[in-house]
Amino acid sequence: MSEIARTARGRAVFISLMLLPAVAALGVFMYYPIEETFRLSFMRSSGLGDAAFNGLANYQFLFGNDEFRAGLAHVFLWAFWSLVIQLPLAFFVSYSLILYRNRITKSLRAVYYLANILPSTITAMLGIFVFSNTNGVLAALARKISWTWLAKLDFIGDPTLAFWAVFFVATWMYTGFPIIYLMARMEQIPLEIREAAELDGAGGWRYARAIVLPMISYPLRILAVLMIVGSLKLFDLPYLMTKGGPGDATKTLGIILYNQGFVNWQYGSAAAVGVVIFLLSLVFTIAQFSWQRKGGEAE
Amino acid sequence: MKKRAFIALMVVICCLVVVMPLTAQQLKLTVWGRDLTDGEPDHAYVTALIKDFQAKNPDITIDYVALGDPGLADKTKITMAAGSGLPDIFQTWGGSTMGGYADAGRLMDLTADLGSVPGSAAARGAMTWKGKLYGVAPFFAIAGVFVNEGIFKANGLGIPSSVDQFERVADMLKAKDIQPFACGEADKWPGLALYMYLTDRFGGDIFSQAAARKARFDNDAFVKAAQLYQRWVKKGYFGDKPLGEKYGDAQQLMATGKAAMHITGSWMCAQYSSKDFTDQQIGFYAFPAMKGGKGPVTDIMGMTDIGFAATKVAASRKDAVVRFMKYAMSGDAAAAEPGRVSSVPGVKAPSALTTMASNVFGTAKLVQFWWDQNLPPAVTTPLNDTIQTFFLPDTDVKASLTKFENLATQNMGAVK
Repeated sequence: MSEIARTARGRAVFISLMLLPAVAALGVFMYYPIEETFRLSFMRSSGLGDAAFNGLANYQFLFGNDEFRAGLAHVFLWAFWSLVIQLPLAFFVSYSLILYRNRITKSLRAVYYLANILPSTITAMLGIFVFSNTNGVLAALARKISWTWLAKLDFIGDPTLAFWAVFFVATWMYTGFPIIYLMARMEQIPLEIREAAELDGAGGWRYARAIVLPMISYPLRILAVLMIVGSLKLFDLPYLMTKGGPGDATKTLGIILYNQGFVNWQYGSAAAVGVVIFLLSLVFTIAQFSWQRKGGEAE
Repeated sequence: MKKRAFIALMVVICCLVVVMPLTAQQLKLTVWGRDLTDGEPDHAYVTALIKDFQAKNPDITIDYVALGDPGLADKTKITMAAGSGLPDIFQTWGGSTMGGYADAGRLMDLTADLGSVPGSAAARGAMTWKGKLYGVAPFFAIAGVFVNEGIFKANGLGIPSSVDQFERVADMLKAKDIQPFACGEADKWPGLALYMYLTDRFGGDIFSQAAARKARFDNDAFVKAAQLYQRWVKKGYFGDKPLGEKYGDAQQLMATGKAAMHITGSWMCAQYSSKDFTDQQIGFYAFPAMKGGKGPVTDIMGMTDIGFAATKVAASRKDAVVRFMKYAMSGDAAAAEPGRVSSVPGVKAPSALTTMASNVFGTAKLVQFWWDQNLPPAVTTPLNDTIQTFFLPDTDVKASLTKFENLATQNMGAVK
């Protein structure tokens, strides 16, 4: 065996050994659970050793179930409104912080990001503290200033308002990360470009539209995908604030999965919900990778 | 001198050889419970149980793990499913949840060991599944009507003795801007107690028939009860925004005299009789009967408040488990509880309010277990979801119940 061949074989062995722990960890903690979830989704199981194959019955049950359809609709609605409200809001805030940079910019950035690092239980409690009709801040304030129309609104108990109450709290909680992310990207835009734009008479809005937005389109797309995937997996905030109620008004796929598995003992149905979330997330993740490639090439 | 030292050393070694096996006989029991063993009044019983049992049984070490709610239920379910990592003893409400574990062969049959332990029949029934006894329930919770007696007295109202009177009283309270009922339906489960009573009062023990698949969950009694419930919601008996009110809010409404009645479990006796919690004078009464209805006032809704069952991993330490269970059912241990209704004979009720609840429990001729603990787990969340729809004024409650019946058919079989 030649020296070159020996070196190549040694390198291959070395690389394989280096990769082995990561591959083993991925196999045990990611691919095996995914395979098990798929397998379980075709079984009827209470989780107590009574699993029996039942074909597509779990999927048929889910797609014929009002609660699941409501959950599916809610996560897509959540994704839609995240794109329409949270993403532009994040852009607006980050752009304002960059454009009007001053001594308090760093502090403001920390303030905006603070909600993102708070545990969701705390955020949910704060949300209830604000919106609760019995002892909430908003209702108390409305009563104090005699705004009876506002005092009468039941943000958490009214099915038409509950979704928006949770979404509002989520917007506060989740917009911090996009703000930081976009600011980091905006800070990379050379100052000369902005000066040149100003010399050409571009105001703040024109500068944003013609220069900043095109230059941050790639991170915006990534954020959009992250928001969509995050919406599909949504669980903590709606569960903690409303437990998915009133009725099915704030049910998400994550809440349905939890209920099916851990409360109703329907592991098969819970796995089927997990598979639906996985497949939907996969579609958007593939889209993300595809954009990432294109974005990478463009940049 | 050297010889003496050698002999002394040998004696010490011999002593150690004799003592070490004795030390090895120290038994360890892992107990999973809900509450911390701290100074909270709500946790007084568990705190005393663990501490005193340990002191009185030095050969047994208790490794008590407080898992909270729903941590206890979630972790128990997961470990029961995995079949490994099980505790020796776990806190449970019994019923179908415990029954599922028993069916899966995870629990230890203690019928022969605990069958003769004195206690209420209802409590023993909750810890029994398919004829086998799996544990003990030293405390039993019943649902009844907590009444703010001060408000009633100030407004010249008597305790309702029929559902019709209930309605009249509620109308009068509403007219005086007092919320008739605190509920907490934002948490979904608190609305169940009233629905259980209304259904029973309309149709007697119709629930047992529906659970045994001899009646539908959308039959006349269930629908009439739901319609009456919804009518009360529309009349504002539960406040203007009942779905925004959590169970903690409901307690505060009662504690501050903003609500006049609360239909809930007797576990609230400790708080409602505590001067630190409320300055109101609160009493506990049985839910009244209904004119022309089938369920008498002696039909009581309730279930285990604190119970313990043992798993099969403790089989080799069965004697220690039985000693723990028997101590849990002893008057010494139960005496530490400041509010719950005890199922241990001879235990004096710790407050006047608990005495009232115990008296109601004493009249029970039929005890119906919480539906969401007694039905198969597959339908319990949908049951509470269904009841929450009664609080939505535009809901067709019959359609909601039919939807629930369809789910029950899928999971429990069709009505025979």
